[in-house]
Amino acid sequence: MAADVHSKGVTWDTPNGNLAPVEHLPNSRSESPTPGLVEGTEPGASQERAMFAHTQSFEDLTADVELTGSHHSEVEEVEEEQQGGLEGGVEGGVEGEGGGGEDAAVVEPKPEVQAVVREKEEDVTSETWRSHKKHVFVLSEAGKPIYTRYGSEEALSSTMGVMMALVSFVEADKNVILSIHADGFRVVFLRKSPLVLVCVSRSGQSDGELWRELHYVYYQILSLLTLPQLQRVFQQRQSFDLRRLLSGSERVTAGLLRLLEMDAGLMLNATMSLPLCSTTRNVVCTSLQAASSKNLVFSVLLAGSRLVALIRKKEQHLHHTDLHLLSNLAASSSSFRQGEGWTPVCLPKFNASGFFHAHISYLEQASDLCLILVSTDREDFFNLSDCKQRFLDRLKKRNVYQALQEALHTPTYPVSQVGIPELWHFVYKSKSSGLYTSPELPVPYRTEEEQERLMELYRYLHSRLHHPTRPLRSIYRCTNTENLLGWSTSGFELYLCFSPLATKALAMSAVTKLLKWIRKEEDRLFILNSLTY
Amino acid sequence: MFLIKGMPIRLLQGRTNELQTHSNADDQVLTDPRMASGMQEKQYTPSLLSFFIYNPKFGPREGEEEKKILFYHPCDVEKNEKIRNVGLCEAIVQFTRTFCPTKPAKSLHTQKNRQFFHEPEGNFWMVMVVRNPMVEKPSKDGKPPTIEYQEEEILDTVYGAVLQQCYSMYKLFNGTFIRAFEAGGVELLTQKLEKFFYRYIQTLHLQSCDLLDVFGGISFFPLDKMTYLKIQCFVNRVEESLNLVKYTAFLYNDQLIWSGLEQDDMRILYKYLTTSLFPRHTEPELAGRDSPLRPEVTGNLLHYGRFLTGPANLKDPDAKFRFPRIFVNTEDNYEELHLIVYKAMSAAVCFMVNASVELTREFCEQLDALVGPQLTLLASDICEQYNINKRISGPEKEPQFKFIYFNHMNLAEKSTIHMRKTASVSLTSVHPDLMKILGDINSDFARVDADEEIIVKAMTDYWVVGKKSDQRELYVILNQKNANLIEVNEEVKRLCATQFNNIFFLD
Repeated sequence: MAADVHSKGVTWDTPNGNLAPVEHLPNSRSESPTPGLVEGTEPGASQERAMFAHTQSFEDLTADVELTGSHHSEVEEVEEEQQGGLEGGVEGGVEGEGGGGEDAAVVEPKPEVQAVVREKEEDVTSETWRSHKKHVFVLSEAGKPIYTRYGSEEALSSTMGVMMALVSFVEADKNVILSIHADGFRVVFLRKSPLVLVCVSRSGQSDGELWRELHYVYYQILSLLTLPQLQRVFQQRQSFDLRRLLSGSERVTAGLLRLLEMDAGLMLNATMSLPLCSTTRNVVCTSLQAASSKNLVFSVLLAGSRLVALIRKKEQHLHHTDLHLLSNLAASSSSFRQGEGWTPVCLPKFNASGFFHAHISYLEQASDLCLILVSTDREDFFNLSDCKQRFLDRLKKRNVYQALQEALHTPTYPVSQVGIPELWHFVYKSKSSGLYTSPELPVPYRTEEEQERLMELYRYLHSRLHHPTRPLRSIYRCTNTENLLGWSTSGFELYLCFSPLATKALAMSAVTKLLKWIRKEEDRLFILNSLTY
Repeated sequence: MFLIKGMPIRLLQGRTNELQTHSNADDQVLTDPRMASGMQEKQYTPSLLSFFIYNPKFGPREGEEEKKILFYHPCDVEKNEKIRNVGLCEAIVQFTRTFCPTKPAKSLHTQKNRQFFHEPEGNFWMVMVVRNPMVEKPSKDGKPPTIEYQEEEILDTVYGAVLQQCYSMYKLFNGTFIRAFEAGGVELLTQKLEKFFYRYIQTLHLQSCDLLDVFGGISFFPLDKMTYLKIQCFVNRVEESLNLVKYTAFLYNDQLIWSGLEQDDMRILYKYLTTSLFPRHTEPELAGRDSPLRPEVTGNLLHYGRFLTGPANLKDPDAKFRFPRIFVNTEDNYEELHLIVYKAMSAAVCFMVNASVELTREFCEQLDALVGPQLTLLASDICEQYNINKRISGPEKEPQFKFIYFNHMNLAEKSTIHMRKTASVSLTSVHPDLMKILGDINSDFARVDADEEIIVKAMTDYWVVGKKSDQRELYVILNQKNANLIEVNEEVKRLCATQFNNIFFLD
């Protein structure tokens, strides 16, 4: 599945033919949720149209990106121009007006840079380096280092050379290397010509999950360069040092890898929305909808990593991967807090061959509310800046700005609100809306270490439910430290974590109770209307 | 549903330590019945691509790479190809040492095949390359058919265990690699390897390996206390009178009752007896009276005892008194022994005698006269007791569940999933996908030390329950499609109470 050789080219908007979002009328929503729920009627299902490109689980991530999509002719025309400009930038060698250069200027490393520097200086022969939980390497087909998560690329050039040698040795037999398994760790290879991505993991995750993570890193690189530019630089010179074009993006990648470990959304291919009372959300959404401009494709309002509102152009759907990349990009740089940022960005799942231009800014410097406006026009900065102002004015005029700020104080809810004894935590994903909800982490999972462990447990359930050849309907796992239940139906996915004292009977009744509660709260927890300009 | 699959038969020719094989077609083609009409998809099961043993220290200089290779199957592979493939394994192992110097690679997954690495003795590497199962789909317009490899269908734990078993079986009959090397250099070692593996690997039925290969357990015969004591008495008496006998093992119905060997040695000897030696001798017994397969009647009417290894007929003036040699306790004492297997009806006894002693006609006659009548009597006693016990426990009903049980402490294993083995086929009563889910759960258990329970519902609505408690593992498959988690739990509790009433499982 990792190989270009046999992955099928799936178009961006229909990863799976029969999964196209279905339109549902509000009255078709069933009152009491049962496992027999049809997709689109589960709690949290969007009422009209889906706002995301539809995604089931991680399978579609392995599909190749579409290079010549005929879906968005209008968007592409503009992009072609942009590519011309970029080419010039690359040929010039250093930061010209090209994408790489501009990006590097925007993403200025500030406080967290220390940590990155420290990791870069690590001795790659030391035990500390070896025992990192997850290494990620990116190299070119010439075996040249492009990225390493720990240590410096220079020090690892021979190791990466060996990696490339192994890849090409196996390929010489018309075969594809997938992974190497050893006691306690595994090495997973992902071939995405002209790049090779390698992950060395001690986390116990399956190959499939690690491939998903490597795909994210690959898309991260595409989002900075676009696929045609990436291919072009290596066509021109096989030994090209790609680090020149990616300089400054290390922290974005580091942030992404962190997110992959901590955020259930990247595992589920879903996004969490900020709990908000429906009237406030409606005003925010309509205000954002009204603040439109000719070339706007997506307007995204985020509170941290939580989605507050998403407005899109008619017929255009944002992919979760792209949204996670955008949100990570915004979060990885403190410079957006100082003012309005303007950066070219490729949304690889939407269209890997061209750039959009993103206006990224915080509503207030100290606030967590981040507005991302995505346009097709590179000269659109002042238009979008104006859009943002109109949006802000409207929020204030209609007195919801305060309510929104207050909602930020309670970005989540305690699990006790659900009222199920022994239930410690849960993750619920509505498949048709692509949104998920999850309460705040309770006491046993407050430390980062424990939080990561809980995520690992969820990832275990997820990978067993979505096994590529032996998928399961449900899985219950009982250990000394917790009881876990994972359940996947056509409408939703549910992951529950109970205290070790819980019984199976309690778990069964908890599911029914929880689904009822989510149905009751769905206005607040989910974004039920998907608006277009 | 019942699926017939080839059972691994290890036909070891006892007298000469040589292996006799039923060579089987390498690629067993099963046509998927669902696809049989129209499309004609062909499904290929996993098969052995190559098997080799090398020692990187034997040819460290460039140009001498061939010296590293001690055994290579198939032997007709071109020299450079062999060197290339060994080189890849060395490179993979070396590469993984970058990340953990002490625990290098165990397997390499590629799209077309999977390679398993095992270093049983310092610097001696065994590699087994298994082709992934695949589906051949005919394409239209006369183009060559497309092949889809199913790389997820092979379980590392299962084939890793098969490779380790290969070594254990070699060691049982040949001793360690290093001893052979010390005794006769590379020449003797390669000779031994060639002789053993050439035939042995043809008996590997890779398509029918499953969780039981991971456990490599021993099936014990359930017995009441009185009969057990009788057997113990018998063993002690024989060891007393024939003081040459160093170790004894007693089996009934292919199941173990008593063994004086170390567990690991018994485990592999048991494997040899039940999958190779016994099936070879039961087939003639099952054959009709006039069948040419039926062995000559020994003419002894006093008892039913006979030698399964060594002389076929004591009365034969030309009978040879040579027995297969086995190596046990290779870690410390390194003992070489004669293996005498003697059988009367369903009872079989293994007597092991130090290899330095020459076994004579007199000894064999003495053994036959002493053991034959007693063992015949004992066998019918056991049979009688067994039937009484069976009657008490009530008539057998086809239960709603199938299970596999394994105890890591005494290697006891029990499976109602696997039908009784015959010489050439073994039956499993469940779908291969369910067997793989059992394997998945087993590898999840292996990752943690603590007790755990995992209950899953497969897409076919079968329930699979795995429980691990204090070195014991139990796997249950339930065919109650409409049951819920609570009912499944109750069902498994009942099973534990009836079948394993002394064992505590985490609830």
